[in-house]
Amino acid sequence: MRVIRIIRSLQIGWTAARVWSMYKIPHWSKKLRGRELSASEWSVIHERAAQKTLDLALGLRGVMIKMCQAVATRADIFPPEIIDKLKQCHDAVPPKSFEIVRKIVESELGKSMDAVFSSFDPQPLASASLAQVHRARLVDGREVAVKVQYPDIETIIRTDLANMRRVCRVYEFFDPRPLPLLPLLSELTRHLGMELDFVREADCADRVRELFVDDPQVKIPAIHREWSTRRVLTMELVGGIKITEKKKIEAVGLVPAEVLQNLMYIYVRMILAAGFFQADPHPGNLFVSPTGQIVVLDFGLSKELPEGFGLGLFELMFSLMTFNESAMVRAFDELGFRSKTGDKTTFVAIARRMVNRSDTGAFEGELTEDMTDELFEAIREDPVAEVPSDFVLVARVFSLLSGIAHSLGSRANILQAMSGGGPAPSLES
Amino acid sequence: MPPTLVYTPEQLLSSRVLAEPLIANGVRCHGGFDADGHYRSPRTLCRAPAIEAWQAQLSEEGHGLLEVPSRAMPPQYPNAAQAKLLLRHGVREPLVRSLTIISIVEGFGAIIRDVQVPDLEELFVEPLSGTALTHLQSGLFEAHARDESGYRDEGGHKQMWEAARDSALENPHIPGDVLMRLMGRRSQGARPAPVFPEIGQPLERMLGFMANVLVVEVFAEETFRWGMDILSDPEVSAAPEIAGDMISYIQADEKPHVEYLRTALSEVSARTIKTVEGGTIPGKQVIDALMHRILEQATRTRPADQRDDLRENLAESIRTATHPSALQDDFDALETPWAPPTRTGFEAAEDAA
Repeated sequence: MRVIRIIRSLQIGWTAARVWSMYKIPHWSKKLRGRELSASEWSVIHERAAQKTLDLALGLRGVMIKMCQAVATRADIFPPEIIDKLKQCHDAVPPKSFEIVRKIVESELGKSMDAVFSSFDPQPLASASLAQVHRARLVDGREVAVKVQYPDIETIIRTDLANMRRVCRVYEFFDPRPLPLLPLLSELTRHLGMELDFVREADCADRVRELFVDDPQVKIPAIHREWSTRRVLTMELVGGIKITEKKKIEAVGLVPAEVLQNLMYIYVRMILAAGFFQADPHPGNLFVSPTGQIVVLDFGLSKELPEGFGLGLFELMFSLMTFNESAMVRAFDELGFRSKTGDKTTFVAIARRMVNRSDTGAFEGELTEDMTDELFEAIREDPVAEVPSDFVLVARVFSLLSGIAHSLGSRANILQAMSGGGPAPSLES
Repeated sequence: MPPTLVYTPEQLLSSRVLAEPLIANGVRCHGGFDADGHYRSPRTLCRAPAIEAWQAQLSEEGHGLLEVPSRAMPPQYPNAAQAKLLLRHGVREPLVRSLTIISIVEGFGAIIRDVQVPDLEELFVEPLSGTALTHLQSGLFEAHARDESGYRDEGGHKQMWEAARDSALENPHIPGDVLMRLMGRRSQGARPAPVFPEIGQPLERMLGFMANVLVVEVFAEETFRWGMDILSDPEVSAAPEIAGDMISYIQADEKPHVEYLRTALSEVSARTIKTVEGGTIPGKQVIDALMHRILEQATRTRPADQRDDLRENLAESIRTATHPSALQDDFDALETPWAPPTRTGFEAAEDAA
């Protein structure tokens, strides 16, 4: 293990040094000639640096993948070339062998696999940065999905985090205007702690299920607590159509716009009203049943918002959707956005820019991926010193939902969702 | 000179020049005061005379204006006497919750700008020129939306209700469950079946939405009376004059909404709608059936549901008082019984439908 640690540390350190030199050498070289790098030259450097980082992450896996995923969500800090490249980290992880999986399951459950499962598919349904999921059948006949954490992942993560913290400190020491990487790392450490604890994940799933207990249009798979531990999670196997598969959705007689409105309502209710939400709505975690029920999976990254934050977000989204700049500025303030100058001019400018996005004078209640991108671009360009990290996570969720809307070729009316849902943009009474 | 019946969107959105803006609890809101100190609603420079002209034309053609019966108006719960009793005992949360929900619901009125308006000229037998109907998407819906939720650097009714609440109750803490109460009960299942499939869904949806908003706007009169009664009472309000005035300004702003909606719906009622299969159906039959259905729901199901929902919450708040059981008894003793009217006044067409 000690050798592995040293090798991983060297790989991270070497890549960090190369990425740093990719930026600094051309910059200094131009400076010596009394010139600055052009926007297109910066763009090429960003792209190359991102590719190097991505290659390292796919090789080392574990926390490096997570770090890349975290960076890919911070459009408020990093340029689009880096964001686009590192987004690839979401679906690029090869699975572990079945023998390794068997060992973990048996050691965690304290029984042989045959004593718990009558069948266990050796091919995983999905594999991600921390765990992989297998289809299985319990001895009583119930079909289940079993999520199995990779061996030694906690140790690998601890090592990588320590390495990355060192690299970040060195970077901050040498760079006169460093990007805020250490706070990002702290946030990642917090999130990883949550995601590695499957008991917590089961609790989060139960909490969201309870929230929608009276709502037949939402399905959260039941957890089999007796066959779940901190590293193995056994849950009801729920099928469905992947939420972005428009043709299949239409083939079962569902209207994609209504599916999307339903999904938007679920997230608006979790985030704004309950202040507790599944924060990872990528298409692999969302399915639709033939009756239109939305299936939400993977509660590893679930987030509790501070008291009053949901109402602040509501005000921000509502004021944007209704073109009310002054209310938007008040909402920025309530949510904890702070400008370096301390005045509100920055936020007035951002609010005006966002409201002016509509050429037609109506958003029709739609919050698009472009809008969140533009908000972060405005924040990067203006001297905003403090963006609440909870806001960043929520913005990422809406950005992912907007991506799903794009795949479905539909629009979700967020105002309608905030007023209590209802079917797609029909505006019925 | 005959009154003008055709307006541009800019005209319908234009406001008078005012001597003083309306500042509500530090927030610049729409409307303001003329040189004599009278409150003037926003966007009424042309909108108000336009609505009068369309109504006059309808009357000249021999048609009346649709009336939403005021006897159908359900009372607020808790009523003003009950709300004041709670405030006197330091139980503020139920009223803060109610006022916050009212402000948000007002703001949601902005959804009207997203209503899809089909090509109306194609859907009616009679011409539509110079009617409120032809101005829905060219100014009337947009003015309505801006009034409700504010626009650009001006607050609207949402912010005005918040100002009334915050000045009267001195910036109270907003209960954390407010949004859950709004979003907790959504319309379940599939879209309701159309009442008149023969006229096409886009038209029925638009008319249904407008009829529903009209009923909400008319019933809001009771909310204004209730709000003014409580918030302008110096015994329970920290700013009785400011809060009471604020509600009266909102009330004044809502008048054009009621008037243009009933005018447009009456114009439909006075005309003949073409069916999708080439036939016709009297507009009155469609409007009356929609009104009947909405009034039935608004007077029977909705108030009872809302009351049940609130009662549990109220009992919880009352338990925080010093003498909860005595307060609960006094609260119940102030209850004013109300029963919905047996008829909505739109039954004939409903039976025919």
